[in-house]
Amino acid sequence: MKFKKQIFGFMDMLRFKKLVPNRREALANGPADPLPTEYRTNVLAHRLHPGRMEVELVDAVMVTPTIRKLTFRRTDADAFPFFRAGQYVSLQSPVGDSLVSRPYSIASSPREALENKLVLGVEDAGFFSGYLCRDAKPGDRFVMSEPSGEFHYETLRDKKHIVCIAGGSGITPFVSMAKSMAEGDEPYEMTLFYGARTAQQLAFRDELDALSAKGLKVVYVLSDETCDGCEHGFVSAALMEKYVDIRESSFFLCGPQAMYDFVLKELAPYDLPRKAVRKDAGSCGNREVSDPRTFRLTVHVRDKVCEISAQENETLLTAMERAGIDAPNKCRAGGCGYCHSKWVRGEYVVADGRDGRREADRKFGFIHPCVTYPASDIELIVPVGE
Amino acid sequence: MGTQTERTYDAVVIGAGNGGLAAAIRILQGGFSCLLLEKHNLPGGFATSFKRGRFEFEASLHELNDFGSPDAPGDIRTLFRDLGVEEKIDWIRIPEAYHLITTDKQYDCEMPFGVDAFIDKMEQYVPGSRKSMTEFFELCNEVRDAQTYSNSVNGNTDSDYMKSHFPNFIKAGSYSVNEVLDALKMPKRAQDILNAYWCYLGVDCDRMSFLHYGSMVIRYITRDAWMPKMRSHEISLAFDARIRELGGDIWYNSEAAKILTDKDGHITGVELADGTTVRTHHVVANCSPHLVFGKMLDRSAVTEKMVRATNARTFSGRGFTLFLGLNKSAEELGIKSHNYFIYDTADSVKQYDLMRKVETNHVQATVCLNNAFPECSPKGTCIMYFTTMFMSDDWGNVTETDYFKAKDRMAEDMIRVFERETGCKIRDAIEEICVASPTTYARYCGHPQGVIYGYETADWDSLMPRMMMMKEDAQLFPGLRFAGGYAMRSSGYSSSYVSGDLSGRQTVGDLKREVR
Repeated sequence: MKFKKQIFGFMDMLRFKKLVPNRREALANGPADPLPTEYRTNVLAHRLHPGRMEVELVDAVMVTPTIRKLTFRRTDADAFPFFRAGQYVSLQSPVGDSLVSRPYSIASSPREALENKLVLGVEDAGFFSGYLCRDAKPGDRFVMSEPSGEFHYETLRDKKHIVCIAGGSGITPFVSMAKSMAEGDEPYEMTLFYGARTAQQLAFRDELDALSAKGLKVVYVLSDETCDGCEHGFVSAALMEKYVDIRESSFFLCGPQAMYDFVLKELAPYDLPRKAVRKDAGSCGNREVSDPRTFRLTVHVRDKVCEISAQENETLLTAMERAGIDAPNKCRAGGCGYCHSKWVRGEYVVADGRDGRREADRKFGFIHPCVTYPASDIELIVPVGE
Repeated sequence: MGTQTERTYDAVVIGAGNGGLAAAIRILQGGFSCLLLEKHNLPGGFATSFKRGRFEFEASLHELNDFGSPDAPGDIRTLFRDLGVEEKIDWIRIPEAYHLITTDKQYDCEMPFGVDAFIDKMEQYVPGSRKSMTEFFELCNEVRDAQTYSNSVNGNTDSDYMKSHFPNFIKAGSYSVNEVLDALKMPKRAQDILNAYWCYLGVDCDRMSFLHYGSMVIRYITRDAWMPKMRSHEISLAFDARIRELGGDIWYNSEAAKILTDKDGHITGVELADGTTVRTHHVVANCSPHLVFGKMLDRSAVTEKMVRATNARTFSGRGFTLFLGLNKSAEELGIKSHNYFIYDTADSVKQYDLMRKVETNHVQATVCLNNAFPECSPKGTCIMYFTTMFMSDDWGNVTETDYFKAKDRMAEDMIRVFERETGCKIRDAIEEICVASPTTYARYCGHPQGVIYGYETADWDSLMPRMMMMKEDAQLFPGLRFAGGYAMRSSGYSSSYVSGDLSGRQTVGDLKREVR
């Protein structure tokens, strides 16, 4: 073929010759104004996802005999990011020689975040939560992750009506979700079943009662006592049938494993699609090992190397925290991938049902230390804490 | 646990995106020490995956073009072979080229790979198109051969050799796609169908250089497209593994904040966001010149010439992607194709204009991954992702409190358009959903305005003069080279690997000269 655009082919050739001079000239004639240092989309990205935040505990009050309501403000900015009700933050602090983090669902609303207020409800049930419930006091400083997690409503996925089922401190995300609905930021209709042994163990009850005047339908379900205005027993299908259309609802569950087991068994006969029921994932704890051995864990962080000990029954993340290493982590349930680390050598075991790694992670030897236990001496390359 | 001792490297690569990963391997293969810095905790930049429930989503890759089979490798497979990563990855072949749907002219065309098959299919859709299509591919072949020659001499082409061997390449070289197709007297409908790939380059066909488009189309149609089984994360981790094998260091969660210079403007090191410094005289930046000259370098090191050259350029599209995990199979849902292009209009100039505003943008490049790789999700499910771009900073108007709703509105529109144009009802099957907006891309990769395509390859800044000025552009700041979507080869997976390859090898050249 002979390509020609203009009558004489050489004119096409001439145009080609000008490509470079034209570009050279355009580059030389760009505006001399200073280059931007900020871009709106990037500013919003940073507001929504600030990474680690510095916070101060401003108020702490026991709301049940075992649950403490902790209110924080940011000290490195004048507001928390707007978030999706149902999300959690991870709170970090040195405790003794350890540097400990734990995820907690947010109980305050996304609008309150903009007023520099973020509330957690912490149950006195473990090493760090025990510290938070008993030792932490107003004025204490912490590091907090940005709000994270996928335990929240999705308009295009979920039914208009949602059924939320809470047990114990599992009530916290639902307080936020109810508030966010009342504040007009969420489009759902919400029925909340809140199970506890006794009325005294119901946290955030004043707030929930106030929200029921703003559209929240709340049903308290007590297993160990009867009282006016409360159901007695457990959150069974028969009980739910009294209040909601099970087949026309999306379910959100947050509470202890025993509650999940019970509710899922109750819902099984309905044969709901998998998408209809979501559970908030709890932190991964120790694994049962009789007479756990102690292994040597070698950790590379950038160009530093540490040798520490690791217990067979504790996660690799816990071992690193105990040694005061600032290893990245967020969900502690194997899912968020934030602790993603390179395995170098040694044997390990991943907690049952918690392997949230990508397929290629397994192929190329990456692990999530938050759900991985050592089974021999082991060596890892861990990214620096943010 | 900060780094107290200051480390020295022959070169530091900023950003472990596709370009940065390739550059780091090249520097290490050249026998020099290299540190790769990445602000995220994973390699790959856009080349990654993420999990929701029982689905592992591909974050961005639709298909790798110019890859070819193991026996007839394309340029990218050959590059992967040279880099030592090809065999670390399990590859699958993409079955067909594309399925074009346009609302205005009601095109519904499924185009195959292979030049003869493509021309035959076009003749079926547009009788009388065969001659011009045949000439189009002849011209494209010459374009490809000319580029191969140009690469083989590192851009230092001999103009007499070019004139005698590639006369059509030169004669067509200054024209837009539409100007050349008109000159070939290609029927308008055939032009419409042929131009479907335009959104992969992000410039309408009145302003996109024919050379750029032609070289991309020929690479798709003659050399197949492929992708890794475990999503692009598999490629990125293969590069990570290769860098470690070669003795390179990779630091994740380590954002480079500053490129340090001495009083003469020579690079002396890189400072991380946490204050750690690393000494080097050579930087490959897998990020935008806007960031490097606007934020990372000290003002005193940035000349007016650098500012003007950066300001002269135009940002390309800002990305938006909807990811769906569906609880029915593609077959049950009636989704037959792997790769759909759905446009409001077959007129790329009009369409580009509609894409300036969030409200009027209904374009989507949509993939149903299971139609290339049925086992990518559990039996009875499928994975889809829908991508579009905004051709202005309109998304920057979104406020913090409207952010989640703005994402939902756009996502809902994509579902509505897909259902309307294909008749496949997907909404009730949504089990998992995730939306990446320009804000998301800005968050993970730091690109200004959430741009995913680098600088527009339009008009004066098209691919050919960029390539021809590669050497000259690098002299703007000795010791500093660019890789990735903002570099000379512009955006896209293949282009980014190639720019990383080029900048990595050129940095090796710089280092060797220095040693001498």
